[in-house]
Order: sequence, then structure tokens, then C-alpha cells
Amino acid sequence: MLVYSQKSFLIVDDFTDFRTSVRSMLREMGIKDVDVAESGETAIRMCAQKRYDFVLHDFHMGDGKKNGQQVLEDLMLDKLISHESIFLMVTAESSQAVVLSALEHEPDAYLTKPFNRLGLTQRLDKLVQRKTLLKPILQALDRGRPPEVLLACDNLCKQDPRFAPLCLRYRADALAALNRHEDLERFLKAILANRPTPWAYAALGKLLFKRGHAAQAKEIYEQAIKAFSMMPGLYDGLAEVLAASGETRRAQTVLEDAVRLSPLAVRRQMQLGKLALNNADFDSASRAYRQAVSQGQNSRFKDPESNLGLAQALIQKNHGNGLDARTRVEINQVLGDVAKEYTDDQGLQVRARLIKATGLAQAGDAETAAKLTEAAIARLENMDQFFSAETALAVAAQLQQLGQASAGSAILKNCVEVYGDDPAVMKDVAKLTDDPSILGAGNEAVDLNRQGVRSYQAGQLSEALALFRRALGMQPKNISIALNTAQALLRVGGESPPASVLEECRTCLSKVAGIPDSDPRYERYRKLRIRAVSA
Amino acid sequence: MNDESQGLTFSTVIASTVHDMKNSLAMLMQAHSQWLARLPAGQAQGAEQAVIEHEFAHLNGMLVQLLGLYKLDVNQLPMCPGYHELDDFVEAQLAAHQQTLDSREITTRYQIDALNPLGFFDRELVGSVISNVINNAIRYAGHAMLITVSEEGEQVLMSINDDGPGYPQAMIDRQADYVQGINPHTGSTGLGLYFASRIAALHERNGVRGRIEISNGGALGGGLFTLYLP
Repeated sequence: MLVYSQKSFLIVDDFTDFRTSVRSMLREMGIKDVDVAESGETAIRMCAQKRYDFVLHDFHMGDGKKNGQQVLEDLMLDKLISHESIFLMVTAESSQAVVLSALEHEPDAYLTKPFNRLGLTQRLDKLVQRKTLLKPILQALDRGRPPEVLLACDNLCKQDPRFAPLCLRYRADALAALNRHEDLERFLKAILANRPTPWAYAALGKLLFKRGHAAQAKEIYEQAIKAFSMMPGLYDGLAEVLAASGETRRAQTVLEDAVRLSPLAVRRQMQLGKLALNNADFDSASRAYRQAVSQGQNSRFKDPESNLGLAQALIQKNHGNGLDARTRVEINQVLGDVAKEYTDDQGLQVRARLIKATGLAQAGDAETAAKLTEAAIARLENMDQFFSAETALAVAAQLQQLGQASAGSAILKNCVEVYGDDPAVMKDVAKLTDDPSILGAGNEAVDLNRQGVRSYQAGQLSEALALFRRALGMQPKNISIALNTAQALLRVGGESPPASVLEECRTCLSKVAGIPDSDPRYERYRKLRIRAVSA
Repeated sequence: MNDESQGLTFSTVIASTVHDMKNSLAMLMQAHSQWLARLPAGQAQGAEQAVIEHEFAHLNGMLVQLLGLYKLDVNQLPMCPGYHELDDFVEAQLAAHQQTLDSREITTRYQIDALNPLGFFDRELVGSVISNVINNAIRYAGHAMLITVSEEGEQVLMSINDDGPGYPQAMIDRQADYVQGINPHTGSTGLGLYFASRIAALHERNGVRGRIEISNGGALGGGLFTLYLP
């Protein structure tokens, strides 16, 4: 038996008897530093205060509470637990916990109840040995340095090649973090050809999809589900690929299968709600969104989009039939929560009001609906934050539905200015309007931008800059054009750009300061902004 | 539309009942061991004590098996293989049974002849099989039990051997039948082997499926159970 007297332990279980019994086992092992928590929420707070070497967490913590898997996710994502620490998931029945767990965050081991002191000591001893063996890798992970992780893996494999399989996952994660796509693809394919595991399938599917190989990704996920039909994470991946390829019906069916396997998953339920809503399956959408809202209460993945989605699904479900009292109460509740909780998010405030107005109009209260709509439109005019393209289109559709054609057109016009260079967005805009002054508003600027990109790539910087400037003059809120202009300016300006260049750079970036942080270009915007401000 | 009733399938009923039963059993076992710890040394050991511990483990094994068989039947048994250290795996199995082995005065030894320290299998599922076999061996063994892990090509073999009377000849002769179904005359022993062979078969590599084999003999001369993992 190893010496544990200097180690700190945290026992988390909702049963007092169980906590007491495990604590006394640990005492018998000579361990003094033992804390207990009766809920995962408390455990998270305790881990923020103190670094624990060992966490023994029961999986089921009672209804309405975070389960062990959610706590593990929180601890890892918020870095409240070191990779060197040992997290043991205690379960009465592990197969269920495996299904309910996420592939990204696995505990160091499952410990099945009942266990005795000997069994506990044996597990702990072995896990400590394993972590000692892997120590250089784990320390590199704690420092967040993927190249060092790879190096540490190499060293371990040189030292004893028999332990190479223990490094597979760390290597794959590090390659992914370093965007070494080709290496990662080769590596994962080799793993799958030898000994397939669910995580390797999921990682390869994700990589192929990210690199635009949707058909291949689909094939991998289908193969994976055939081999591991009980792993819901694989269904999530397949559904994502299907939805992106336009197979939204099948995507919904696949997610419904995943939800049947593992209903406790906020993001999965929300994704299902969204798909079902798009598929006009309002029953399924309201069911999934309702789950997402209620499970979101104790999850870090809580998202107001589920509240809005639920209200929308309920309204559309009853389209043409008014709204019964119970549904009205539910809609008020979920929208009220958004209005109360996200007071600073103007976009959410506007959308919650518009959805509520739609509900009221449907329930027959045209007067209040009109008032609410007016209030929402007034807020809309003062908004500095941009809607994402998807949201803008949803809001425009809502306004049209509420009989506010001109406000709807204004949103569409704005959307074309901000996102007009994206053909997919333009296709969706065309579904809502056939007004040529909206649809064609961005054409010239987008064309100039395209020419600018070509010149920039050919190294003709000043020509590129001139083209970008002309494009920006027409569509100052277009994110792509503004970012291209700023980048060209900084490039032309060289090492220490003159003040006038920086000034121009800041001006064009400030016009697109409303870029949503969910936008894939947000990171690029942020970096340009830092350079323009600090140079 | 009632969301609650929709999710309540028989599978959920079984799963949650077994879950509760296991929790309850875990409490019982823990309370029992705490109570034992307070007893004077002379009273803490006795024939009844061995029976209690063995039957606790037996009950627990049956609950796991019950749930496993049900899930196999409805294709809901999750299979999640990974690399596991073989010595760790065997030690964990033995640690869980150590008290019973001690009180029955069964000397246990394990031997790892595999060059590779890691095996590739579903730890929970194979663990429940090995645990049931150990339990069975405890029931029939005289004084000794031997667990060996070895390699045959790329396959890992896990064997449990005891010095008891061994498996009845009829059972050895008809062992292939247990894979196809349960013989109503063989009772629970057949069920355990059936469960084991199903779990073994879930492990597959390049068209080769895992399997089990029972015979008599081995180093200790009694029952010999072997699990082949491809």
C-alpha cells in the first residue's frame, strides 16, 4: 500500500451513510485530509478553494442536481482539478454511467458499489502508479502545452513501448490542438484499423467534418454506430454532419435515438429542438426544448436559445388554433426568464418580445401584441450588437409574420450588408424577400472585395487596399470587408504603422464592433483590434 | 401529451430497480463491515461470517448478471473497450473477494504470463464475468485458486482454476449449447456461462470473436474456466 497521509480527498455522495463509510475506510488507511460534500454543486465550490488529489464522486446525485459527469465536466473545463489529480466515478451500475457520460471527459476510473477497503486501496494504488508513469504528460496538459504533451508521449514510449497504448488519446488530443490535421487523420485511422474505440471514431468523424469531408465523416460515424451502438456521442456527430448536408429529417431521427439512450444532455436536447423546429415537427421540438430548458437549470450549457425555441415551437404547434391557458403560462414563463436573466443582451430582449407578441397575436390579443412589437422595434433601432445571420433571418421572418413588413425589410437589408459575402446567407434571404433592392444591395461591394482578395493574395497590396476601401465605402458594416481592409492597412503600414493608418484601421473595425462572439471570424477581429489599438 | 410516461419502459424499470437494489446491498455490506470492525476479534470470524460475505457477493453478482442479460436481450448493453493493465484488473477482482477467500481459507495466487502489460477489453463487462467465476470457484474450491493471464498470438487468455471437484462431465460435453441458449435443466450455472459467453462474444477483432471454455484439470486439478479475448 502506498502512503496517502499527505494526500487530500474529497468524497461526494448524497447519502450520508455512504460518505461516512468511505470516510472511515480512508481513515483506516491513515488518511487525515478528508472532506465531504453532499452535492456536486458544493463539490465544485470546494474544488475552487482547495486542490484535491483525489475526488470520489457518486454518479447519481438525485433529481435536479448535477450528476457526477456534469461535475467532472465543470471541474475540467474550469480547470478546477489538475490532470494529475484522480477522479473516481462511483456507481451502483457502471454500464449506465458509461452511456450517460460524454466521450470528451472520462473519469480516471469507475468504482462500482459495493466496494470494500481492500478494493478501494487496490484501485487507488494502481491509479497512483499509472499517474506517476504518465506524470510528464499530465504536467504538460496542466500547462496547456500540446507540443510538450507530444514530447512526453514520445519519451514514455521510448522508455517502455509496451505502454504506448496509454498515450494514444493524449497524442490525438495534442495533434488536434495543434491543427496537425494530416498527422491526426493518419494517426486515428491507424488506431481504428488496429483496435477501434468510440473516442477514436468520434475524433476522426469530427476531423473529417471540420475539413469539409462530410461524406467521409458520415461514413465513419455510421461505421462507429454499428460497432458501438450505445454511445450517444457518436449519434451527435452523425446528426451534425447530416444536418449540415441538408438531411435534416434523418438528422432528427438520429438525435432522437441518441436522446433515447441518454436523455440527460442539455446540448443534445437543444440541438434536437432546433432540428425538429426546422423540420416543422413542433411536438418533438417543444418536447426537446422543454427538456433543454429544465435540464439547463443546473448545467453550464444552459442557453436562452432553448427558451426562445420552446416558445416558438409551442406557438407554431398551435398555429391557427389560438393558445390554451397552460401553453400561455409556459410561454410567459420561459420568455420571462430570458427577459429577467439577460438584461444586457439587447438582441435577446428584442427577440423575446417579438416571440411573445406573436403568441399574443395568436391568442387574440392584437392590441398588446402591437404594443410589444412597437417596443421591440424601438429597441431594435438602438442595437449596436449584430445578430448572427441565422438570428437576423429568424427575426425578419417574425416581423413579417407580425405584419411589420418594413421593419422586416430593414433587418434583411442590414443582414445583407453584414453577411452579404456569404452565398448561403443570401440564399436564405432570398426565401424571405424578392425585393431586388435588398437582394442586390451588396453585389458590387462583394465583387470588389473578391477582387481585393485576389490582389492581396498576388501580393499587390496597395491595389488590394484600394479595392477593399471602395467596397467598404459601399457596405461599411460588412464584417469580411472591414476585416480585410484592416488587415491590408496593417500589412501596408509595416512594422510601426503611421498614426493615420491606425486611425483608419480603428474606424473600420469600430463599424463592425457588433460582430457576435459566436462568429467564426470573431477571433480574427479580436486580434486585428488588439494590433490596431496597441501598435 | 405526457413526457414522463413516455420514457418509462421496462428497461428503465429494471435498470432503476436493480440500481436501488445494488445501492441497498452496498449499504447492507458497508454497515455489516463496520459492525464487524467493532466486534472483538474472536467474534468477528466464524462460519456464518464466511457465508454472509459469500452470499453478499453472490447476490451482487446475480444482480449485475440479471441486468446484463436483460440489456443484452434488448441490445442495450454498452460495450466500451479500452486498454487496461492486466495486473491491475486481476488484483481488483481479487481484492473484491479477498475477505471471503480469507475466511474460507482459500489460498489464491495469480500469475501474469503475458508479455504485454495491457489488454484491450471492456473492463466492466469482463469484470462482471470474472467476478462471477471467482464466486463460483470459491463455492467449489478446496483450499486453492489460481488465476492466470497469458497470451496466445494476439489473444489474451484469462483462466481461473480451482482444486474442487470440477465441472460435471455433462456440462463440459455440452458447453457449446450454452452459447445458443439456456438449458432449462442446468439452472443458474448454465446462466452464468451463457452470460460469460455472450460477453466474450461482444469482444471481436478482425472477425474473431471472444469465447469461453470450461474443462477440468489445470495446475490445481479442479474446474478450469478460460476466457479468450481476441
